[in-house]
Amino acid sequence: MSGIVASGMVMDPERLVLMANQIGDFFAPYPPGPREEGIRNHLRTYWDPRMRAGLRALIAEGGVGLYPHVIAAAVLLDEPLRERKGYYGPPKPPEI
Amino acid sequence: MPNPQKPEHSVITTCAYCGVGCGFKAETVGDRIVRMTPWKEGKANHGHSCIKGRFAFDYYNHPDRVRHPAIRQSIDEPWQEVSWDVAIAHAAAELQRIQRVHGRASVGGVSSSRCTNEEIWLMQKFVRAGLGNNNIDNCARICHSPTQFGLTSTLGAGAASQHFDSVLQADVILIVGANPTEGHPVFASLMKRRLRQGAQLIVVDPRRTESVESAHVKAAVHLPLRPGTNVALLDALAHVVVREQLYDEAFIRARCYWPEFEQWMALVGSDRYDPDVIGPEVGVEPDAIRAAARLYARGPNSAIYYGLGVTEHSQGSTGVMCLGNLALACGMLGREGVGVNPLRGQGNVQGGSCLGSWPHVFSGYRFVTDPDTRNTFEAEWGLRLDDEPGLRLPNMFDAAVAGTFKGMYIMGEDPVQSDPNQQHTIAAFRQMECVIVQDIFHTETTKYAHVLLPGSSSLEKEGTFTNAERRVSRVRKVIEPLAGLADWEVTVKMMNAMGYAVHYDHPSQILDEIARLSPAYRGMSYDLIDRVGSVQWPCDAHAPEGTEVLHVTTFPRGRANFMLTQFVPTAERTTDRFPLLLTTGRILSQYNVGTQTRRTANVQWHGEDVLEICTDDAELRGVKDGDWITLSSRVGAITLRARISPRVHAGLVYTTFHWAESKANAITTELSDWATNCPEYKVTAVEVVRAAVVPARSATAAQTVGAPS
Amino acid sequence: MWAEVRNLREGIDLGTPPRDGAPVTLTVDGVEVTVAARSSVMLAAAQARRPVPKLCATDMLEAFGSCRVCLVEIEGKRGFPASCTTPVEPGMVVRTESPHLHALRKGVLELYLSDFPVREIPDGWSEFHETLQRVGVTSHPYGAGRNHLHAPVDASNPYFLFDPAKCIVCSRCVRACEEVQGTFALTVDGRGFESKIAASQDQSFMDSECVSCGACVQACPSHALVEKSLFPEGYDRAESAEA
Repeated sequence: MSGIVASGMVMDPERLVLMANQIGDFFAPYPPGPREEGIRNHLRTYWDPRMRAGLRALIAEGGVGLYPHVIAAAVLLDEPLRERKGYYGPPKPPEI
Repeated sequence: MPNPQKPEHSVITTCAYCGVGCGFKAETVGDRIVRMTPWKEGKANHGHSCIKGRFAFDYYNHPDRVRHPAIRQSIDEPWQEVSWDVAIAHAAAELQRIQRVHGRASVGGVSSSRCTNEEIWLMQKFVRAGLGNNNIDNCARICHSPTQFGLTSTLGAGAASQHFDSVLQADVILIVGANPTEGHPVFASLMKRRLRQGAQLIVVDPRRTESVESAHVKAAVHLPLRPGTNVALLDALAHVVVREQLYDEAFIRARCYWPEFEQWMALVGSDRYDPDVIGPEVGVEPDAIRAAARLYARGPNSAIYYGLGVTEHSQGSTGVMCLGNLALACGMLGREGVGVNPLRGQGNVQGGSCLGSWPHVFSGYRFVTDPDTRNTFEAEWGLRLDDEPGLRLPNMFDAAVAGTFKGMYIMGEDPVQSDPNQQHTIAAFRQMECVIVQDIFHTETTKYAHVLLPGSSSLEKEGTFTNAERRVSRVRKVIEPLAGLADWEVTVKMMNAMGYAVHYDHPSQILDEIARLSPAYRGMSYDLIDRVGSVQWPCDAHAPEGTEVLHVTTFPRGRANFMLTQFVPTAERTTDRFPLLLTTGRILSQYNVGTQTRRTANVQWHGEDVLEICTDDAELRGVKDGDWITLSSRVGAITLRARISPRVHAGLVYTTFHWAESKANAITTELSDWATNCPEYKVTAVEVVRAAVVPARSATAAQTVGAPS
Repeated sequence: MWAEVRNLREGIDLGTPPRDGAPVTLTVDGVEVTVAARSSVMLAAAQARRPVPKLCATDMLEAFGSCRVCLVEIEGKRGFPASCTTPVEPGMVVRTESPHLHALRKGVLELYLSDFPVREIPDGWSEFHETLQRVGVTSHPYGAGRNHLHAPVDASNPYFLFDPAKCIVCSRCVRACEEVQGTFALTVDGRGFESKIAASQDQSFMDSECVSCGACVQACPSHALVEKSLFPEGYDRAESAEA
């Protein structure tokens, strides 16, 4: 897959969209709330910061091709209050 | 016939081939290894062995062994042999230069599953302390990383719950996506003992392998599903369990969370996963699905053994979760004869997993983002550590192609042959400025390297391996390293050259460090292992001599979890242009990419990779047994010989990946598991046609077998 | 549980598989020993450090009882039972050596020796050779007769060879392929003097279903099945056989 890659990006935007949507597919059966939380946790724990930055950049440009709930989850990455340790296991409602 | 020569000395060590980790006696005359005999006290093998560990050890002094370090400015130049000090100083200087120019995160490393625990530990320490980032990965990425993710999410521990002997207590054995007769033969022999006593066998595998039927063993149910549909089938099995109320309610209420179970029950119990719906979708009889589910749930002891046929899919982690969910629902955990057991492929891939050779966790699967864990490492190692997850191996290649990843230190791995989508991997290496490869032979990857450091085989060093049972056993030195240094010594020199001073007198000190920093290894030491033979982690105050069976009274997080496993078909679809599905696997006599076994007489059994195709598909294409064919996918095309085989059904073809010449990975795709990026090797849409041009390479093995040892 | 696999020990061959079971105490040559119920007398003798000479028995395989070397005397029992197939009983009194037993064993071993390459006896170190030394048999009283000394060597497998001239048809290889490996590639073909070890449909090892696991080589007591790597000079039959 080739595409224009902005400097600092670690991969092709198409691939980022594919990977992010795949995560979205897994969490789709969970109720809204835990669903976005689960995706957000996964991105925070497993994605290199530049990949997360790349995703955010795509969303800033309109997020074409990304599932809405994936976009909602990625937006949560910016909320500092949600910063906490990585977590294995099913998504749970966010602690207040 | 004259009398055979009697060996003079023997050393007890552990086989470096597959994840069974058989104990062997390496017998020598002078400094020559004359034979390897199985160790009766080996707890993984009980005195048995297979063709690889028993006989295929000659590679260690094959003429092709790399015996001198070498460097070169560009990959188009010939190698220039230099001393160890020059090679290592050059490698370190290059990595430092690249970091100055392209940033701290522009370099990384990969450890080897054929190297010892101590060496893997030093590799991740090199990356974390020496390079200052978390771009460290291991080859479990491309095989069992979904096991770690899926089992930890459900059960809390990403490793086999049982030891091998536990199979002797099983009443029902469910094999999913694995062929133990070929991939883990010594374990398969143990399993067959139990099957001959009357245990029942269920096999989920697209192919009709020897594990389905062989001498005195026949599966009660064989589910030959279409590649890519594991989760659908496993959810259908779960459907039967919940709808027919075959689940173990007492177990679930005591050990899991009932509301989570209800949520899961609603998903798999829905009409979507009814066997009458899923059966036709995946290509198996609905009644066979019901029979398998009932057999498994009834037990009384049902054990799951699974392999890469579950993990190497775009829903690999989800598939593993399905297995965890099934075992939880039916109460098949926490005693002998049950469990969920990944058959780890390589001698020390479990070690790589446990010891944190991952971009997102330290040893014991503890996150790099977790300050408490990080603090213990920072205190022991004496410096600040990166708190962000690093790049996974496939993402390192993506970043290289994008121009932001420029240097790599690779120990004992051959990504160009073993990773999918070969053109992409090669393109990535071509973009890098310094590729350092430490290996015992030249490989496909060394073609793209700038620094070559001689590796040492497991016969040439002291250390430990962790097998698929979580069993830590000793690797003992039988002969001196051919190039003068053991792998761990090289990595120590690399760290010192990067400016991070370390020193160890003996590998036992490295295990001591691992023990200080890893709860599961807390009680491990060479003394303990020497005393009791081998130790299964966790080994700590509660279990001073190790733990055979996990989850007996409690799960690592207290209770276990049910994960929601919706079936998401892979993006890889058959089309008119590519109407067949290719799946891949192993053969008994060859080991992985064949670096070692291709240089032994094992080539007489498997001199080339062939394409297995059924009679009907072959006839349709005018292909006869032995014809050269072109196997193509949307990514590439390769040439192989065809073999008509009853093991594959219409629509399915199969090949192995042991020979570099066949370039099996030139046609596998970029698709991978959603959670771990484990490549989807098991599902590729392909077409087979008679080859227009017969390749120049000879029919039989081109590799010469080395001089007798 | 599963003492058959878990209680094996390197450096000692108990003769028959260890068992799980209630303790049983018996006496072997005056030495009291306690073993699990269903263990064989041979195993008890080995535990008591009074091992009985054997050929077709090995602790990785179930007892077979064909070689007739492991005979013992048991008080209160008639005849000379094979210790490998006799289960222990509480209070048993076993004798492993006596003039009668020696004569019987010597007779059996001399018969084996009459069909074995005599030139290879002095420097041999296989279990068969050790048993001969232990019982004190170095020659046999029989003249030349029919033998298997010219049977062709099967060197088809790159790693090990099978020389029928040294085969004593103890069936340990056949049983190892069944019980330990589970491939069932070997059988004993024919009967009486004609008995021979055959791979699959009497094919060479390489052409048969053999998966080259080495269990048969490990089990063979006479180096009939043996690793090629132990012959640095090669393995041509150096001398023709002689009686």
